[in-house]
Amino acid sequence: MRNIRVFFEKKDECKYISHLDLNRVMLRAVGKSRLPIWRTEGFNQHAYITFALPLSLGFSSDCESMDFRLLDDEMALGQIPSLLNACLPKGIRVTGCKEAKHKPAEIDSALYEMTLTSDNISTEELYSAFDEMLGCDEIAVEKKTKKGFKTINLKEYIIRCDYSVLNDGVRVSITLPAGSVTNINPTLYVSALEKRAGAEIDADIYRRGIYVKDGADFE
Amino acid sequence: MLKKEVEKFLLKVQKPGRYVGGELGAVIKNKEDVDVRFAFCFPDTYEIGMSHLGMKILYSLFNEMPYIWCERVFAPWIDMEEEMKNHGEPLYALESGDPLYEFDFIGFTLQYELSYSNILYMLDMGGIPVLSKDRKGLKNIVVAGGPNCCNPEPITDFVDLFFLGDGEEVDLEVIELYRECRKEDTTREEFLRRASKIKGVYVPSLYEVSYHDDGTVSSITAKEGAPKRIEKRVMTDMDKCFYPKDFVVPNIEIVHDRAVEEIFRGCIRGCRFCQAGFLYRPVREKSVGCINEQCRALCHNTGYDEISLSSLSSSDYSQIVPLLTKLSEWSNEENVSLSLPSLRVDGFSDEILSKIKSVRKSGLTFAPEAGSQRLRDAINKNVFEEELIETCSTAFEGGYTTVKLYFMIGLPTETYDDVAAIADLAQKVVNAYYACEHRQKGKSVRVTVSASSFVPKPFTPFQWEPQDTMDELRNKQQHLKASIKTKKITYNYHDSDTSFLEAVFARGDRKLNRVMLEAFKRGIHFDSWGDCFSLKSWLEVFESCGIDPAFYANRKRDFSEVLPWDHLDYGIKKSFLIEECEKAYQSKSSPNCREECMHCGANRYGTGVCYEKH
Repeated sequence: MRNIRVFFEKKDECKYISHLDLNRVMLRAVGKSRLPIWRTEGFNQHAYITFALPLSLGFSSDCESMDFRLLDDEMALGQIPSLLNACLPKGIRVTGCKEAKHKPAEIDSALYEMTLTSDNISTEELYSAFDEMLGCDEIAVEKKTKKGFKTINLKEYIIRCDYSVLNDGVRVSITLPAGSVTNINPTLYVSALEKRAGAEIDADIYRRGIYVKDGADFE
Repeated sequence: MLKKEVEKFLLKVQKPGRYVGGELGAVIKNKEDVDVRFAFCFPDTYEIGMSHLGMKILYSLFNEMPYIWCERVFAPWIDMEEEMKNHGEPLYALESGDPLYEFDFIGFTLQYELSYSNILYMLDMGGIPVLSKDRKGLKNIVVAGGPNCCNPEPITDFVDLFFLGDGEEVDLEVIELYRECRKEDTTREEFLRRASKIKGVYVPSLYEVSYHDDGTVSSITAKEGAPKRIEKRVMTDMDKCFYPKDFVVPNIEIVHDRAVEEIFRGCIRGCRFCQAGFLYRPVREKSVGCINEQCRALCHNTGYDEISLSSLSSSDYSQIVPLLTKLSEWSNEENVSLSLPSLRVDGFSDEILSKIKSVRKSGLTFAPEAGSQRLRDAINKNVFEEELIETCSTAFEGGYTTVKLYFMIGLPTETYDDVAAIADLAQKVVNAYYACEHRQKGKSVRVTVSASSFVPKPFTPFQWEPQDTMDELRNKQQHLKASIKTKKITYNYHDSDTSFLEAVFARGDRKLNRVMLEAFKRGIHFDSWGDCFSLKSWLEVFESCGIDPAFYANRKRDFSEVLPWDHLDYGIKKSFLIEECEKAYQSKSSPNCREECMHCGANRYGTGVCYEKH
């Protein structure tokens, strides 16, 4: 039995699949593909699959992963992506498959690429509003936690942030803490910006990378 | 194809996955390559519509034809409606993202009366004039099929053409005719005239209805060569009937998220309140071999690990045990579970139970429908108290502690004693639990009683019966509530308001078109949803149209009255329905189709249970 991790893209129509529904979609794909996957042995037996880091509804990604235990020790892993892709909606594409190297708990940060546009203000105004916001010492926002709302300073969490004007929007690449201990959702920055700019902002968000402690790719 | 303009506001609505398409099994074609574009509209939300088997069958059937592209359309929920209206986005089909007004056919399925208002809502959102007379040229033909076509009179101003009975053949014949008419460049009217000659097609504009002074129908006259009576279509050989090998598999959770295999059409029982039991006669079964192959293909192609063996009364399938045995040859190994909905009290055997999973330890559901044996005889629900108690005892011995019982109140001939008998029956089930030696020690029993309000329907022996008034239904609900003496019985009921509106439209006539239109103008829709339904708003609409809804819901009709649906022929003789109604008055039951033929008339189709050897 091997611990296998498949990597996949989630985009287009499929970015509207919630995390809970993604689990169902994947279970059906795994069932249809007939991959020999370890199943739970409880009352409601099902293939055992887990996801390292949930993706918010509406985000696209090219670095999602799903873990399972493969019962067949001889099977070549290279054939798994095409087997699964034949059983998945086209917005989800499996791009790779290998034995899991890291534990999901080792996940430390993630890179998001956001394209910001607004019908209310010009791209230049949007850019300067963002630039100004990042120049402040404090970006205070209310964050919903299990214990209620708490104010946090978004500035502190930015690991790296590059931004520029691109075509007719502002392109932001932002690396933020991710994982089970501290997880910062990039939409918090969009809401903070909306408040400051007094404008409605559309954000097209793409997760481009998930990293472990030393900055290496989560594999 | 999801439009950028729509994506802009998708994240502002609940469950955006309803509006995006892109599922496994969705059919994408090039619109330049097809002759006919068909928008299959389900007048309710995605989760409800995607659970509907008829849509899956016709979607696959149409798309197997190279010249048709059939797409799916559902009613946008009110939050999405608001966003779409604010942004000027028309209702679109999920596959292409194209607006409804670009389609040749707009097809609705009529499953329940309370979805009628959504038909107008969807047409309007799709940029199509709601009234047939305002639609011109050979495009945007609005058609409808499904069980409610047995009395479509309240919506004849909005739909161009109705399909009566099984749709698998007649739909394609009409689409073929449309292709011809387009080649010949005929008028819309000429297409409809020719369509009316196809068996199973009802073109309402070709019929004139006149009324007596008291508001009842005096005559229904066919015009321009349309047939006097419109006969329903029947698929005679279910093994040869088209069945999909694949479903569109939704990415978000829907109501019935599993593979569905239809095992037979029709029902042998003839419960007198049940419209489906008469509309779908005669019973036609698929063979074990055919069901087995179709189930396998469906599981392989969809990836579902649960398959529901669907019909109006699944334990009445004549080969049920051989079927379950055959299926379990592969289903266990492939981790596929089987479920049998619509189990009857008397169809509940250990043999069946051991092979299905649907009956989980959590609970069992049965539908005795009435509390007293007298009333069960009157409605021809041939279920006996001893059977129910025996079945429940078996279940309790096996470790079950909850039972759900479904009943109806307001049934014809019902007295307050019959209503109180519901409580007695539930009490007997509770007692049966404590009489069981091997019941779960230290656990209490829970019996849930649900009572819905009876709605008289066309083509049933009760089609002439008045519905109880809302006050009467409320009194009966209270009487039942007061008759329950233990906390071990939970009583669920809902307000009778929706049942009243359902009763009005179920047996309505063409005068109700005016009401529908006015309701649409006032923004009424999603009537089957508690968050949207308002009887008050509807009563105001009736008032403004000068129409008394009680005329339709609460009036006793005479057997001699011309009924608004008398020109529609579902193969059941009116004389048979009258006999059944009179037997109900005498509290006499009738045998089922396999026990003895009651000569309802369905044998004229030359197939099914009428010709089985008993």
